[in-house]
Amino acid sequence: MDTTKKIICVGNRYQPGDSAGPLVYEQLVNNAITRDIELIDGGLAGLNLLRFMHGADRVVFIDAVNGFRPFGGVIVLDAEDASRHADTVFGHSAGLSYFLRVLPEVHDGKLPEIFVVGIEGAPDSDKILKAAEVSLKIAALGEEALN
Amino acid sequence: MNNPKTKIINAPLNRVEGDLEIRVRLEDDRVSEAWSVGVMFRGIENMLKNRGPLDGLVITPRICGICSTAHLTAAAKALDAISGTKVPTNAVIVRNLALMAEHVQSDMRHGFLMYTADFVNPAYSGQPLYDEAVKRYEPFKGRTVIDVIKHTKEILDTIVIFGGQWPHSSYMVPGGIASNPKMNDIMQCKYLIDKFAAWYEKRILGCSLERWLNVQSGADLDAWLDESESHFNSELGFYIRYARDIGLDKIGQGHTNFISFGQLDLPENSNVKGRNQNSNLLIPAGFARNIEIEPFDQKKIFEHVAFSWYADDKGGKHPFSGETKPYATGEESKKYSWTKAPRYDGAPAETGPLAEMIISQHPLFTDIVNTMGSSAFVRELARLTRPAELIPAMKQWIMELDPQEKFYTHSSNIIDGEGFGLTHASRGALGHWVSISNKKINHYQIITPTAWNGSPRDADSIRGPWEEALIHTTVKDSENPVEIGHVVRSFDPCLVCAVHAIQGKKENVWKI
Repeated sequence: MDTTKKIICVGNRYQPGDSAGPLVYEQLVNNAITRDIELIDGGLAGLNLLRFMHGADRVVFIDAVNGFRPFGGVIVLDAEDASRHADTVFGHSAGLSYFLRVLPEVHDGKLPEIFVVGIEGAPDSDKILKAAEVSLKIAALGEEALN
Repeated sequence: MNNPKTKIINAPLNRVEGDLEIRVRLEDDRVSEAWSVGVMFRGIENMLKNRGPLDGLVITPRICGICSTAHLTAAAKALDAISGTKVPTNAVIVRNLALMAEHVQSDMRHGFLMYTADFVNPAYSGQPLYDEAVKRYEPFKGRTVIDVIKHTKEILDTIVIFGGQWPHSSYMVPGGIASNPKMNDIMQCKYLIDKFAAWYEKRILGCSLERWLNVQSGADLDAWLDESESHFNSELGFYIRYARDIGLDKIGQGHTNFISFGQLDLPENSNVKGRNQNSNLLIPAGFARNIEIEPFDQKKIFEHVAFSWYADDKGGKHPFSGETKPYATGEESKKYSWTKAPRYDGAPAETGPLAEMIISQHPLFTDIVNTMGSSAFVRELARLTRPAELIPAMKQWIMELDPQEKFYTHSSNIIDGEGFGLTHASRGALGHWVSISNKKINHYQIITPTAWNGSPRDADSIRGPWEEALIHTTVKDSENPVEIGHVVRSFDPCLVCAVHAIQGKKENVWKI
């Protein structure tokens, strides 16, 4: 498959506060998805998400977020916003923030366009559906989907 | 005589998977007591009860994003034992290669992204090598940090090729593996192993694997370091010089008991041989008091909960009979961790690359521990050089795979019974003890490396390994206790699977 657009869902399905990404993955994998978008269960891959950047033009990450919306909801961040609060050094639990912060230094070739669809608060079915829908639109259209 | 000035400090340890807090008592500037606190309840064992016999293959690799192959290996080996299935040579090799790929990546990332991150702590700004350390280890920018991330990103592709995905893969099954690699797959994996090996030799060692493997004593190590600029300035050479400068060879001794469950089965007719010719494992099993090695018997393992937040069982239970019953009420003043306290023949023991080296009778590490004792320095040295032990076997085994031969032996449905799977995660000994009854899991106990290393006290009030290793450590600045971080991180703590979710903000508490 000559895919250059990717949706990568990250998180830990066994930890309630971190399960949003895997839940959106399940929502997407059970629905029709266009052939030119690759859907990836990023799980707890952490820095090993690097291998998925190869050859991608646009990547949409889906992950649980904290501290952006006091009452919860679905938000969209760019790579800079999402990496602003990264821990300064790597740890076993280094998450998407660390990955996005270090990505420009370690990626070979042109960086893909990156968006993060964040789910704040309990990942109920409304948020899961909305995040899935938004992710598909952004993967297909990029910034145009946000206007 | 003046009374010593006593102070209790709490040190939440960042850069650890899961949450770990270290509490120490300082008398003047020396640690006189230490408590290791796992602050999360895991409960994976309880999740597995009453599920289908194969569910451990899917659930346990998801315990941790770093050690998923190790958990899968242990789960599969336990089911191999229960089903009585003989795993074909090809599958033994693939399982080994996957585990080794996880180890060599983890060793490099722990060493140069987590452990040496403390080398640029402001406490060391007056050190002669500090500026060079910053150039190598500065977060997000240091040339070693970037180099390690770049050159460790592909080695796990070997697992993806064999197993379809990493982490959380489930391709190991009782009787072998579920995939059927072709010659093209094998050649791709060979390329990845060779590429990693070439980088490791050039950048980490600064010499060939053969040259490094000739380093067999502390004196040899000093001679190797001074032998050439490429050794002196390699990542390993710089680690040795800087770690000694800041005194890591003088802190973190601990009990000096070592345990290895053994790992990496030697398949029949393989040209790969372990250091111990009597073992059928590349890394043998054993227990050592200092460098005196005793035969290993898993029946001697007991888990204590006297100081753990579980219902008491008066002295410890073998994992086939151990339970995971959270119980904290009323004993807050005594119990202090969600981690249990595994003991071997009644004794605490550390596990990890140094334990592997000691049990394997590796001459360099045997000599260092025998003459200078254990330390944070030698523990990390073992981790940084473990790939040199593994890479030659990886190179040989990938060539011994025969795609014309089988990768799976048909296994009938899992029968009722019990079995255990022993192996090593990158941090040390890992075991799964499983019992199947009426075609369901009725008992599952997991003992992880960090349960050994980071255990609280046992029923005899004996400290866990890194608690003991902290005793007598001098903390120069209690506001910046970097020495505590060195000692604990030399064990490569990974609490996520050690504790049986508290997700809290740490901004208001003190970080190392």
